[in-house]
Amino acid sequence: MTYEEVIFYFVAALVIAGALGVVVAKNIIHSALFLILALMAVAALFILLAAEFLAIVQVMVYGGAVTILILFAMMLTRVRDLPAPRDGAQKPFAALAAIAFGITSTIAVTSTQFPGESDKINVIAFDSVSDALFTVWALPFEIASLVLIVALMGAIILARGEEGE
Amino acid sequence: MEQAWLIPAIPAAAFVVLLIAGPYLPRRGDWLSIAAIGASFVLFFPVLFDLVDAINADHEGFVGGVKSWEWISFPGFEIDLGFFVDEITIVMLVVVSFVALMVQIYSVSYMHGDPRYGWYFAVMSLFAASMLTLVLADNLLLMYAAWEGVGFCSFLLIGFWWEKRSAAEAAKKAFVTTRIGDVGFLIGIIMLWREAGTFNIQEIIHFAENGGYDSTYLTAAVLFLFMGAIGKSGQFPLHVWLPDAMEGPTPVSALIHAATMVVAGVYMVARMLPVFVAADAVALDVVTVLGLVTVLMSATMGLAATDIKRVIAYSTLNSLGFMFVALGSQSVTAAMLYLFVHGFFKSLLFLGAGAVIHATEKQDVNELGGLAGKMPVTTLTFLLGVGAMVGIIPLSGFWAKDEVLTVTDSEQSVAIFALVLISVFITALYMTRLFILTFLFEPKDRHAADHAHEGGPLLTVPLILLAIPTVIGGLVVFDSVGEALGFPGGFGQFVWLEEPEKYKFHADIAVMSSAVAVAGVVTGWIAWQGKAELATRVRNAMSPVATLLSRRYYIDDIYQWGINNIVLGVSTIISWFDRVIVNDTGVDGSAGLSYFAGYEIKFTETGRLPNYALGIAAGVVIIGVLLLVFEVKI
Amino acid sequence: MIPINNFLVLSSVLFSIGMYGVLARRNAVLILMSVELMLQAVSINFITFAAYLDPENFTGIIFAVFVIVIAAAEVGLALAIVLRLFRNRQTANVDEADLMKW
Repeated sequence: MTYEEVIFYFVAALVIAGALGVVVAKNIIHSALFLILALMAVAALFILLAAEFLAIVQVMVYGGAVTILILFAMMLTRVRDLPAPRDGAQKPFAALAAIAFGITSTIAVTSTQFPGESDKINVIAFDSVSDALFTVWALPFEIASLVLIVALMGAIILARGEEGE
Repeated sequence: MEQAWLIPAIPAAAFVVLLIAGPYLPRRGDWLSIAAIGASFVLFFPVLFDLVDAINADHEGFVGGVKSWEWISFPGFEIDLGFFVDEITIVMLVVVSFVALMVQIYSVSYMHGDPRYGWYFAVMSLFAASMLTLVLADNLLLMYAAWEGVGFCSFLLIGFWWEKRSAAEAAKKAFVTTRIGDVGFLIGIIMLWREAGTFNIQEIIHFAENGGYDSTYLTAAVLFLFMGAIGKSGQFPLHVWLPDAMEGPTPVSALIHAATMVVAGVYMVARMLPVFVAADAVALDVVTVLGLVTVLMSATMGLAATDIKRVIAYSTLNSLGFMFVALGSQSVTAAMLYLFVHGFFKSLLFLGAGAVIHATEKQDVNELGGLAGKMPVTTLTFLLGVGAMVGIIPLSGFWAKDEVLTVTDSEQSVAIFALVLISVFITALYMTRLFILTFLFEPKDRHAADHAHEGGPLLTVPLILLAIPTVIGGLVVFDSVGEALGFPGGFGQFVWLEEPEKYKFHADIAVMSSAVAVAGVVTGWIAWQGKAELATRVRNAMSPVATLLSRRYYIDDIYQWGINNIVLGVSTIISWFDRVIVNDTGVDGSAGLSYFAGYEIKFTETGRLPNYALGIAAGVVIIGVLLLVFEVKI
Repeated sequence: MIPINNFLVLSSVLFSIGMYGVLARRNAVLILMSVELMLQAVSINFITFAAYLDPENFTGIIFAVFVIVIAAAEVGLALAIVLRLFRNRQTANVDEADLMKW
């Protein structure tokens, strides 16, 4: 077992643990904290995959913006009286479906023979990513920024409420 | 002749006007109806003269006057609204328009004061228009339409006094019974059309004569056609409606029996006779046999009937059977001649009976009698009608009957001829009985007889006008009479199927038939004179036979039994099928199923996001598993 | 050397856990968080393929960028909707928002 693998398993364990914490924690705040753990562990995974740019973006967007947004939402939607159960009635079915999906996709992944070298991580240069983003993918990039602006404007309008509210 | 279509068009227009504006017209528009049919009668003459000129000019190539409009037109399927005039048509036209005119004039007085006086004349107009259209139609489809129009009008008029239950029942019976025949008629028309590709009568005849039809097929087709005639002309076994049709006003009976309804069947068969001839001999044999059965049956039933109008109705059946025997003997001449004179004397008889009923308000001969002195005109004209029906020389009926007997003698077996002769005897017997019981000897109901008196001129003038052709109408058989009137010769040279025929007087047959007829009259006189002692004794001695006759051979009872047990039985099954299978299972079932589906399945739409998400997830998993299991390469 | 399957299996496990969270949880915010987990699984997948199999075009990297962008937009919008839901119905539980039922 190489040291890379050791790091991978450690990080993977953190990801799984964080994810499980998100979905099973009783307290909603705990869930949010577990989510931060999982997201940061995923960022670590990105570094393992030699995608430093994405790791940075991950930390900035998720670790910063998304998590703060979620925490704000939690605060604003706090129900103070009786703590209702956090899980719905279809929990067993959900578990069944999720396990079945996991097994199915795992079998699919492991039984697939991928083309090319499937055990060597290629380092993708930071600047080549930015080159590609602003040349080949320039139009989608611009459209994505437009989507972001429209969505956030919509979010503001929705959250602000109507006149007199 | 080209304008012959005006003849039915005028009464039809009168009907429309009366229908819309009738209640607002003075005298509720009776004058309009009479004027319309009068115009039709007048218009008949130019058509006749045109036709005679055409015949005299070019006899061999003559095909009749034709006028047609396009009616329905598809590629490969064209129907013309066409009118056709030839000799047979002319004979029918004069009978229909003249009798209808007389009947309508008579009705002014007879129907006076009826609450639906205007409606009566409107329907009379439509009736005449339908019949005239039927007569003039050059294709079977138009003929069928008019045929149904006639049936519909007869339904309206038989049930004219529909408040009376028996009248409503009789109208329904007439309608349904004739409808049975009409179905056959329509099937026959379609069968003829299928092969020939045309509805035009002349073209169908041409097609049939050239052997265009398979013999068996053609025989079946003409027998179906004949079914229509059976229903319309009241032949056995569909004759049951005719006696009941007496529930209508008496002038209507006269019209139905003499001109506008029952002779339609005879006319149709006469018109299509070349097709019948082209078919297997069986077809004409069926015509003969059914005609003969009707003749004998109706004659014997006439002996037992007591209602004055019913007796005359049986005599109509009798006459119609006669015509069919003539047609079965391939003689259009004899049949049309009989039809021609029958139209006059039968309407005369009915109108005479109407005068009696109008005067006494009784129609049972057992309550009448002794009217001769009170109603001389009616009595005399009625006597002429009876004489014509019996066939006394030189009244018109004699010549026609003689013609029928001649063709029967030459075309049919001796047995049939003998049976026809017997029917002549019975006819004489019951007509004599009718006359004696109605007009002679002591009145059975003195009160009614005392109050009886001759009706006004509107009643008697039509009787007299009808009596004239009743007396002299038969003379048209003579070549010299025909030539004097401008025709190429007598009736036999005017209306014919294969060859025009000069009139020949068959002394032997004339003597034989006259002897039989006179014997019948004498026997009747002996039997029913005075207090009708002999007849009463005979009836008592043969009470089963009398019962059989007065119950009309139980045919109505058999039909009723059949309706009660078979038709209603089948109806019960069908109604059960409709109720349980079609309605409960089919209609309600499918409705219930969709209701159940809609109502029960809607509860799966919970509106909750997680449920839908679970559905999506399950779908994804299932698709994934399937892809794995079947190793689909994407 | 880490085999590619390690990343892929981890991704599918993470996706399954996210799916479970989406299906089982009632609170809208928790569901959103689970959706984020699923998106992370997708991102891992993209980057894995890019790094192992597609070093020339690295489309997966670009796609991961877009996934993050869209996820940010989605979170913003979704949280606004949750906020409105809470204001109107005093709850953040999705199974209580069932006005669209039969």
